[in-house]
Amino acid sequence: MIWLTWRQFRAQAVAAVVILAAATAYFVATGLGMHHSYATDLASCTAQNDCDTLLSQLRYKYDAMFNLAELLVVAAPALIGIFWGAPLIGRELETGTHQVAWNQSVTRTRWLAIKLAGVGLASMATAGVLSYLLTWWAGPLDQIDGSRFAAMTFSTRDIVPLAYAAFAFALGTIAGLLLRRTIPAMAVTLAVFIGIQVLVPTMIRPNLLPSTTVTYTLDESSLSQANGIFGQGGSSGDFYMSGLGVSQGAWVLSSTPVENSSDQPIPLNAIQSCLPAIGPNGKGGRGGTDFAQVGSCLAHDNLHESVTYQPSSHYWPIQWFESGLFLVLTALLSGACFWWIRRRQN
Amino acid sequence: MGLRVIEFHLEARSGVSPYLQIVGQVRQALLLGLLTEGDKLPTVKEVVAKVAINPNTVSKAYRELEHQGLAAAKPGVGTFITRSLGQASLAEHGPLQQELRGWLAKARAAGLTEPGIEALFTSTFRESAESAEEER
Amino acid sequence: MSAILHAQALGKRYGRRQALAECTLEIPPGHVVGLVGPNGAGKTTLLKIACGMLAPTSGRIEVLGEQPAADPTQLARIGYVAQDTPTYPNLSVADHLKLGAKLNPRWDAELAQARIEQLELDPKQKAGKLSGGQRAQLALTVAVAKRPELLILDEPVASLDPLARRSFLRHLMESVAENGTSVILSSHLVSDLERVCDYLVVLVSSRLQLAGETDDLLAQHYRIVCTRRKESDLPSDLEVIWAEHTDRQSTFVVRGDAEPPTGDWVADHLELEDLVLTYMERAADSGRRAKTLKTEDAR
Repeated sequence: MIWLTWRQFRAQAVAAVVILAAATAYFVATGLGMHHSYATDLASCTAQNDCDTLLSQLRYKYDAMFNLAELLVVAAPALIGIFWGAPLIGRELETGTHQVAWNQSVTRTRWLAIKLAGVGLASMATAGVLSYLLTWWAGPLDQIDGSRFAAMTFSTRDIVPLAYAAFAFALGTIAGLLLRRTIPAMAVTLAVFIGIQVLVPTMIRPNLLPSTTVTYTLDESSLSQANGIFGQGGSSGDFYMSGLGVSQGAWVLSSTPVENSSDQPIPLNAIQSCLPAIGPNGKGGRGGTDFAQVGSCLAHDNLHESVTYQPSSHYWPIQWFESGLFLVLTALLSGACFWWIRRRQN
Repeated sequence: MGLRVIEFHLEARSGVSPYLQIVGQVRQALLLGLLTEGDKLPTVKEVVAKVAINPNTVSKAYRELEHQGLAAAKPGVGTFITRSLGQASLAEHGPLQQELRGWLAKARAAGLTEPGIEALFTSTFRESAESAEEER
Repeated sequence: MSAILHAQALGKRYGRRQALAECTLEIPPGHVVGLVGPNGAGKTTLLKIACGMLAPTSGRIEVLGEQPAADPTQLARIGYVAQDTPTYPNLSVADHLKLGAKLNPRWDAELAQARIEQLELDPKQKAGKLSGGQRAQLALTVAVAKRPELLILDEPVASLDPLARRSFLRHLMESVAENGTSVILSSHLVSDLERVCDYLVVLVSSRLQLAGETDDLLAQHYRIVCTRRKESDLPSDLEVIWAEHTDRQSTFVVRGDAEPPTGDWVADHLELEDLVLTYMERAADSGRRAKTLKTEDAR
């Protein structure tokens, strides 16, 4: 049965190896250069104390490649689900070849078990290689960004891609099993997987661990770490300060608007007097506005803002929890496959 | 494997059961002198591999031939013809053939068509063959 | 040895549709069994239940004394080729033989190899590129080389041209002669089965109509042609299967253990095809009558 699983998977395996080889070549070739540049830039900028500018330039230089690479790694589990999962059983049911496989001397359960295990492990390994490559490659860029909590970033680093791949594979398999047609199964797998990938970062990931909420009184020291003002409705609407006192690498989940001592949000034009003229980088830009001064101006107004965030120390625990969640889903879907197959037996 | 001495065929709609057709074809071969005493009949497997019929049919036919005393089975070796049918060969039945030609001329003169002659002959022949079977 | 297939009130229901109903059957070993009936009669359903692809919704079935597909040992004893003889399009002929070897403990590699050579199939050729007849032969080879006690073939020759059909049956009979395998093969044409089957099962409208050794069935049935009369005028030990009347003439198909006595009629045996057709007509007719009764009741 292992031979048969391999033989049926052979073409897809070869394609995967070719793609992985190309990806490795690409990442290594460009990554070595980028890592070198980072090290050089870091050494020189620390001396000259203009790290922000220099490193931002480096980050910007690799921005297009960065986004493309993340896109590929986030697409990989979906492609695995569509091209490896959906046809695994769907194709056999569609063409009737299951009638050949189920009438040799192996039980249906064993047939399914070996197919799921074999191709499932290959899926996780493929995603693992891609994730490892990207995590290594993007190391310096992630450092410059400060955290790996951005939605696309978190989903394409370290261990979660393996869990996504396993889940997408199991999803594709059960879709093929239930729909008995490859193309509709591919479509359903893609739709469900995209739905889940939109849902999880927004609704589930923030709540996997308890978050922390800190209230900041607006003054010179708290606002010295600010990097922007975000208005939500023009000059008479609410607004909040971004970047407040949050330790490097934290994941800001939400922020209340700036409120006065009676916990009422105040409109933007209420603090107009403390805001400087628009700096050369425009409103909200970091380069031109001295927020410390804005802070000392606002100190006597008793304004405060509450920020809810996940600290950077929660990165790995959330990776594990999210991976675990997807692996549990994978196990449930796999179990459902076995149950469904056995249902048709005496 | 030995000489392939006889090949069978099946007439699907002849009204004669398959195993009897085989028996008949062996008897015909004996009459024509194609088979003689000591010849080995093809194995069941050889027969069905050429003519797609049930092996049981062939076995039944061979058993019938044994019953008629025409063949005998040697376990592990095969089935062999044990005697010939009517010592004389067809060529020696000149007078009979002349009579037959005469009868055919009469039948045509009476207005029968070829298929009509064949039908008349076949049904009469079958009738007499069956009653000859029953007598035995 | 006990029956190769023993079914008791076997039934399969899909929602409101009864694919198979009240099927009670006991097939002895050592036969080539022909399962015949029109399309949709339930032949495929019965065969799929026999090899464990489907589970029945009522009744019981035992194949070779065990539950179908109960365990790998049971699976090894039965070979099955589905309708349209599926093969893996991207696997070569040699791959299919390797599949058989890897998945079957009793695989006879020499037999498989000999047959492939005899059929003049190119081992490297992908199954998807073979002709219909060659695919059927490949599927049969894989099923036969696992040395089963029972071969189940669902309409194996339906889509084959006459030459491929004859070739397939020849190879099948050769296997039967060599290995003593029992075979159940289905078709909606009697002509496909006449040559090779010595046991007949007739299935019409999901119900069993007739089952028995072909020779016995042919010997027991007569067509009686006489002047117009009622069924009850015939000897009572003859079961009337079918009756047709004109103004002057009656034709009956009857079944009886002994030959009908001589009377003012002509009694003749039927051809196998006519016998099967008679039972099919009878089933269709009773179906029509049942429907008419239903509509009348409804009214």
